[in-house]
Amino acid sequence: MGYGFGDECRRRFYSTVSMENKACILITGASSGMGREMAVRFSAVCRVILNGRDTKRLEETRQLCTNPAEQLIWQYDLAKVEELESSFAAFMSAHQIRISYFVHCAGFMKTYPLKMVTAGLFQDTFNVNVISGALLIKSLMNRKMNDTALKSVVLISSNISNFGAKAFSVYGASKGAVDALMRSLAVELAPRVRVNSVLPGGVRTAMTEHMYQDQELINRMATAYPLGLGRVGDIYEAVNFLLSDKARWVTGQQFIVDGGRTINITG
Amino acid sequence: MKEQLAELLEVDEVKDSDVLKDFECWDSLTILSIIAWASENYGKTLLAKDVNEAKTVGGLLALLQ
Repeated sequence: MGYGFGDECRRRFYSTVSMENKACILITGASSGMGREMAVRFSAVCRVILNGRDTKRLEETRQLCTNPAEQLIWQYDLAKVEELESSFAAFMSAHQIRISYFVHCAGFMKTYPLKMVTAGLFQDTFNVNVISGALLIKSLMNRKMNDTALKSVVLISSNISNFGAKAFSVYGASKGAVDALMRSLAVELAPRVRVNSVLPGGVRTAMTEHMYQDQELINRMATAYPLGLGRVGDIYEAVNFLLSDKARWVTGQQFIVDGGRTINITG
Repeated sequence: MKEQLAELLEVDEVKDSDVLKDFECWDSLTILSIIAWASENYGKTLLAKDVNEAKTVGGLLALLQ
């Protein structure tokens, strides 16, 4: 189609020769699934900062990217929220980069019924899904660390955010929190920075793979999704649009990308 | 192990010969809880099918060995 975030990055890239001036994008959860796909696709037009826990898998992602040598790895476990800001500050200082775009793909999901729910499960889930994302935006807004480079943020939420399902209480609460965070920050950081979220339906990734071991569930899903099952690339397209200047008047919005799953009330 | 399972099945104690389907609280959420418990405490990945096919408490515990 020839428009979107890619073109904007490309313009920057082609109008400047040095790598330092290419727009940088931070992607959490880049070691697998959705985050890996985002990293690989955005690397065609941006300099990508890959975050994840596992250095080996992050390196695999880096090798899948365009110009692997240009892409950076920030290995950090986002569950450790106490030291997150200092680790990220050290990374930024070491590389002297400025980040314009941020996609929070990292996700922690355990589908536990209420009787298996613990305070620790809430803490682990909220640390990764909500708190780490908020602290990274805070860091990226810091002028000493990132000047006024940040332009647009997309938080990966979930279509459970506005609905309910058995065994999804903790994960669902965390995604509801992601969207509440997104709306308040969209107001607080306007007009310079836009903040939106993408709410995917069930997409098969490493995080959800255990659910897809059940053929019955796959069959049920196929009938519940009017457009059939989705792919990681479908989520990338929505993120790409929201990050781009094509969405310059869009902020504080939930963009549901779920093949029509949540508007389907067929009995 | 049996104590934890009794807790999940919402009874005071369980015996190897107890039939899983006969527990009052036996439903899809209890099966999910057992799957989560097995993964969390014993590093075992069980499917709902495995739990159902275990039939008894003894059969279920054997899956965790």
